[in-house]
Amino acid sequence: MTKFTVNDRPVQYRMDPATPLLWALRDASNLTGTKYGCGTGDCGACTVDIDGEAVRSCQVTIAAAEGKFVTTIEGLSPDRGHPLQQVFAADNVSQCGYCIPGVIMAASALLRRTSDPSDEEIDAAITNICRCGIYPRLRGAIQRAGRVMRGEEVVDAVPPSGIAPEEAAKAVPALRRP
Amino acid sequence: MGRAPRKQGQQTERGLNRRTLLVGGGATAGLLLAWGGWPRAYRANLNTAPGETAFNAFLKIDRSGQIIVIVPQTEMGQGVSTLLPQILADELGADWRTIGVQSAPIGPLYANNLLARQWLANDWSRLAGEAGEWAIDQYATRSALMLTGAGTSIPMFHQPYREAGAAARVLLCKAAAARWDVAWESCDIRDGIVSDGGKRTLKLGEVAEDAATFDLPDILPFRQADVDRLAGQELPRLDTPSKIDGSHNFAADIRLPDMAFASIRQGPIGDAVLKSVNEGAAKSVTGFLKLVRRERWVAAIASNWWAANKALDLADPVFALSGTPVGSAGIEAALEQAFADSSGERLYARGDPQSLSEDATVLASEYRVRPGLHLAMEPTCATARIGEDGAEVWMATQAPGLARAAIARALDLPAEAVTLYPLHAGGGHGRRMDFEAGVQAALLSREMGRPVQLLWSRLEDVIQDRPSAPAHARMAGKLGRNGAVEGWSAKVAAPCALTQTWARIAHGKLPHEASADASGTSTRLAVAGMDLPYSVPNWAVDHFPADVGLPLGFARGNANLHGAFFTESFMDELAHQAQMEAMSFRIQMLGGNPRLAHCLTTVGAMGGWQGGIEGSGQGLAAHVMNGAFIAVMVEAGVDEGKLQVSRIVAAVDGGEQVNPDIARQQVESGLIHGLAFAMGASVPYAKGMPTRAILGRMGLPRLGDVGEVTVELIRSTAPPAGLTDLGAPVVAPAVANALFTTTGRRFRSLPLLMEG
Repeated sequence: MTKFTVNDRPVQYRMDPATPLLWALRDASNLTGTKYGCGTGDCGACTVDIDGEAVRSCQVTIAAAEGKFVTTIEGLSPDRGHPLQQVFAADNVSQCGYCIPGVIMAASALLRRTSDPSDEEIDAAITNICRCGIYPRLRGAIQRAGRVMRGEEVVDAVPPSGIAPEEAAKAVPALRRP
Repeated sequence: MGRAPRKQGQQTERGLNRRTLLVGGGATAGLLLAWGGWPRAYRANLNTAPGETAFNAFLKIDRSGQIIVIVPQTEMGQGVSTLLPQILADELGADWRTIGVQSAPIGPLYANNLLARQWLANDWSRLAGEAGEWAIDQYATRSALMLTGAGTSIPMFHQPYREAGAAARVLLCKAAAARWDVAWESCDIRDGIVSDGGKRTLKLGEVAEDAATFDLPDILPFRQADVDRLAGQELPRLDTPSKIDGSHNFAADIRLPDMAFASIRQGPIGDAVLKSVNEGAAKSVTGFLKLVRRERWVAAIASNWWAANKALDLADPVFALSGTPVGSAGIEAALEQAFADSSGERLYARGDPQSLSEDATVLASEYRVRPGLHLAMEPTCATARIGEDGAEVWMATQAPGLARAAIARALDLPAEAVTLYPLHAGGGHGRRMDFEAGVQAALLSREMGRPVQLLWSRLEDVIQDRPSAPAHARMAGKLGRNGAVEGWSAKVAAPCALTQTWARIAHGKLPHEASADASGTSTRLAVAGMDLPYSVPNWAVDHFPADVGLPLGFARGNANLHGAFFTESFMDELAHQAQMEAMSFRIQMLGGNPRLAHCLTTVGAMGGWQGGIEGSGQGLAAHVMNGAFIAVMVEAGVDEGKLQVSRIVAAVDGGEQVNPDIARQQVESGLIHGLAFAMGASVPYAKGMPTRAILGRMGLPRLGDVGEVTVELIRSTAPPAGLTDLGAPVVAPAVANALFTTTGRRFRSLPLLMEG
């Protein structure tokens, strides 16, 4: 059977039950933030959160997801407000951006377990492949997001999406009200 | 967006009737220029939405004060869609929060003449000097040759974006000054607000429409003030917000009404033709719609991509391969054969290289580099919709004009009937210079009568990669009495990946044809990065063209990937022979190159260089690319047969960089790319196929493999250079040199620990 919860909404996919979760999310739900990179569970670009664990969604069939709670990058926060998202922006981590949703989902599962992970714990949890080379900034960014979660630091780097032009004009003197 | 200017696309191929000038020799690299009938000046071909005013090809301002910067360069993660707007916004005096970006349409004002010069220069154009460069510029502009690659975006467009910002500032000041009845020279713009120097102010959106009606002065004044400048600030990247919340649309994220999903098989490497396919088996897949067969590929279309790919697996396409199938042994043999077949072509020479063979202290070493795979995280993909009015294609491409022309040719439509929506690439590393998927998606959409999204499987992406060139080198050097290098000879056997790439993308050659055609071509592009930065009195670089049968492509660093490996590894061997410490050994020959010497001393001080003594695990390498200088120091070792690189320290002089943090990020990115080549990113080939295609078995570095990485930008007032490729070529030789100190063994092959 193929009934489960995606980003807090109940869904049932009318697809071959052997369909990997990745493709149900992307091609049926249009949740395209979850990326295809290899299809063999190696790269982690398709990482989603299933019942609190970071899982390669290309390796889980929709049949096996029955009854579970799936969270994708789109469901991580409504407003890019997750500490990882804010810190990734503040530390200029993202390059091409293709691996980023998977990396953030893997890191968010780690930080939920421990908000103060060691370098070794981070290396063990983040086995995603990035070809642009975000690695030099990655451990520091994840640890910084941990500090934000612990309330030791505040980062406010990126506004939420969907700001109305009127609101923008209030904040930015160079803009006119439309 | 993406609509054609009239003329440009077609006339490069026709219109050669009367007086023509042949630029360059050889069928694949030759360019024909048509004289007459071409406009001498070009107008911007920008569309404007209601309320928007176009100032020039690079800038629109709307009534609310939004600054819309037009960017012709493809964002592949390198930050160009932030850097070019930052240059313009700085000169304009804009508030960074008001900047938006749009992709440029295809037009001559967006041509990348600089990359064209690098790519298309040859003996003829070099002989012609400035006239040769002029001819290539003319060709590039007239054919709207838009290209992204080889770190050319900033050096090519830095000045035009400054000028565009300055021009708009002057016009906006003029419009405001007219309203206030003051001299425009007394006005200035800061944070997106024009002022008369006193109390009166206007927002840019209030004067934009007026401003466009004023004339520019003969001499464009640049901003003088040092305060409130956006240049030099580490402003946040404009593409970040959509890339951290999953909302950014790459080509396979496009969703259109009634769209179907496709997967493709193109057979083994080489001249492969589709022979048979089991359609019955494909039909058993839920959601399967159709198999589309062409001469050289077959695609399955289904209601989701997994079903399409599964149907294709079950259909088990069989291809007939003509000629000798590609294999690693054959590639190695072809490179060795190249040395035997000719005496090579001398591409660089200084002093009297012949003296090398005459007396003692000659050290000779043989090096080899395997083909390097791109393995961008986003597999090749494109989305297409064919309607009655023409075709629309969504894709990331480094050559949008050529891509559009190829799609139009395949559909038998005029170029202006094809709209190309240029998207960001999920990494490219050079692979997006080719655009097969755009053509295939368009053909599939026409066949299906509905929008089709084509995504290559990772397997297909590996088989059909166009790797960087494999190369062999025979290096010989002679030390002088003072310990400096007195003679240097580099003999390099390598196919030219760039010549083949051009034949494919500009002349529509099939990969195996382009590979064969280019096999006899001797060109500096095949030995890039071997022009010595060191003062060596007698030296030469000889190229031996080779036919390896493996189609090759544009890459991050291109031939510098092998060129720097050969040069900097061998330099270390000579230092050891001279019993000199590797940094001083290099610096004594860099009297004429203070910028590179400075990089070396900086990296030594930062990294705690211990002289590369036995057991230190430290290694050095330095390199110069197109006006950018880099030195790296690494600490590396081998643990249980696995390469461990615990530290990479780099010092870079890339001129005045508009956004230092993005500059550092570009260098970091190149370093990790180079580390991947030291570790892997290459596969053996057998019987026309790579022997493995699973991403997890490519030796790519993961976070746990990467230790501390430090990049120091040296302050400089030199013109800004491109830094995207700079880090990639230097890591492998530095690591090889480091491993020598702990193992006593020279690692002369790339990847460094490869079997066989």
